[in-house]
Amino acid sequence: MIPAQFDYVRPATLDEAIQALADGGEDAKVIAGGQSLMPLLRLRLAYPELLVDVGHLAELRGVTDTGGALLIGARTTHYDLLHDPLIAEHCGILAQTAATVADPAVRHRGTLGGSLAHGDPAGDLPAVVLALDATLIARGPGGERQIGAGDFFLDYLTTALDAGEVLTGISVPKLGPGWGYRYEKFHRTAQAWATVGVAALARRSDGVLAEARIGLTNMGTVPVRASAAEAAAAGVEASRAALDGAAAYAAEGTQPPADLHGAPDYRRHLARVLTGRALAAAAGV
Amino acid sequence: MELEHSFTVPVPEERAWEVLLDVERVAPCMPGASLDSVDGDAIAGRIKVKVGPIAMTYAGTARFTERDPNAHVITLEASGKETRGAGTASATVRSMLEGQGDQTHVIVHTTLNVTGRPAQFGRGVMAEIGGKLIGIFAANLADMLGAGDSPAAAGGAAAAAGDSGAIAGSSSAGAGQQAAGRERVPAGPEGAADRPADALAQPVDELQLSLRSYNSLRREGIHTVADLASRTREDLLAIDNIGPASVEEIRQKLAALGVSLSEPAASANGLSPSSQEAAGQLPPSGQPLPGMAPPGRPRVDARPPDEDAIDLLSVAGVPVLKRALPAAAALLLAVLVVVGLRRRRSRRS
Repeated sequence: MIPAQFDYVRPATLDEAIQALADGGEDAKVIAGGQSLMPLLRLRLAYPELLVDVGHLAELRGVTDTGGALLIGARTTHYDLLHDPLIAEHCGILAQTAATVADPAVRHRGTLGGSLAHGDPAGDLPAVVLALDATLIARGPGGERQIGAGDFFLDYLTTALDAGEVLTGISVPKLGPGWGYRYEKFHRTAQAWATVGVAALARRSDGVLAEARIGLTNMGTVPVRASAAEAAAAGVEASRAALDGAAAYAAEGTQPPADLHGAPDYRRHLARVLTGRALAAAAGV
Repeated sequence: MELEHSFTVPVPEERAWEVLLDVERVAPCMPGASLDSVDGDAIAGRIKVKVGPIAMTYAGTARFTERDPNAHVITLEASGKETRGAGTASATVRSMLEGQGDQTHVIVHTTLNVTGRPAQFGRGVMAEIGGKLIGIFAANLADMLGAGDSPAAAGGAAAAAGDSGAIAGSSSAGAGQQAAGRERVPAGPEGAADRPADALAQPVDELQLSLRSYNSLRREGIHTVADLASRTREDLLAIDNIGPASVEEIRQKLAALGVSLSEPAASANGLSPSSQEAAGQLPPSGQPLPGMAPPGRPRVDARPPDEDAIDLLSVAGVPVLKRALPAAAALLLAVLVVVGLRRRRSRRS
């Protein structure tokens, strides 16, 4: 349970961190809250030779209003998300989801950026960020670039971030009036990873569900959008029966994993049921 | 677990057969694989599997256990051990060739067995990793066979690897690397003659290199100064994580000992002295140093291992608890015994 030996640097600025990462090469790793990386180190599954700690960089923390969107610093913790008034007003689903992440100790240390950069498909926030159509901002030696959430997650624990890049922030479009949201999560114990999670956003107008966006947690090697269910839900009457009908398509095109917590078929079933519940709650029925 | 892949290559069966038996051509098709030595049927090598932040390296041996030209079957058995852990992996890869005119259909059947920590992950991740690796291997193989010496085959090769379009590009780069690897000139004998034997016998860790360079060298089997001195600058640069800066650092540390890196042999035809000759030159004592890799071996570069990386983790908590249980039980037992003894003693007094 003691990690293998590694070098550790704690740069004073983001630019220094990027430089340290560039000098460290392939086996350098960014650490912020450490809530995903530390277990890997302690299990001796990861052997980075250099850890670049960005966990104290104030420039990466906090939420700012940029007009049509909120810019959330990558180092903003789950606890911060839970208590930020801007998040509550414009992207409540982030706070609602952050409240379900593991336990208070993890929520105080774990960060939004860390959760996304780790790219675990069983993590809750990736599916939410995907449903929110957020844009991720990364900075590397070559400057800053923006990556759409849909292009960010490539495979298990693998993201579009280059080895020398640091995820600096997440730009989340504000949810306008008429939008409702819900994150539904099924897990065996309170602090466990989601067996399946569903993030649903729904815009309702005149008793009809005008638009739905659904992100699925742990239904494949990356978080995925339930596009078939989104299409089926668009334009239906905002009633439980109609929404359940749309939710029946939730597992379409997914390849959920098999493990101790459930077989693929079980997960598909969960996805359909949870999508029905999440859509109903998001649409306010 | 059992995995099955198949692909068609646009070359006649005899040619496919020949290539499949040529380990030095086949090995680079496996993502993350590199060869340490090839001695007849016995092949020693290693494979690095990288999944996000998780990296595992298995080192081991492989050999052909079946070569049946009549049944058109080749079987390769491989087994290895984690270099930094107690895990093991073994695989039996059975390739069946089926000639179809000037095309060959190859069916690759793999039985994969993984033990140890990586196998403890839930999520059936190992099956997925294994499946992906073999899938890439098959696609690369198809690509290499197709891109071989028949120029007309190039288009067909792309078609054969069509289901893995993303891989096709990188595998042709891999073929280039491989060619370059074969031409690379190994350590020449010059410069080794008048070095003090004790400096050469020094372990690398006494050079006070940075941890990163040290680890990279150790992973490459470079343990002593002599091992280091037998490599050329290019050899070192070919090692993962060793860049020009690291080589400069190594060069300076060696210079402090009066030792320098090998110079590439500048013979026009690129032919090199055999590994025995080169090795014999090194220590004046004539004693081959332990752990010294034959510098003359052909180096085959590995494809970047993480082009299709996969994850593990998730249910890591459960195996950890499981592993902690025996220790906790032993501790409890020890405490009980101590308490019991004390009580007995206090009763006596």
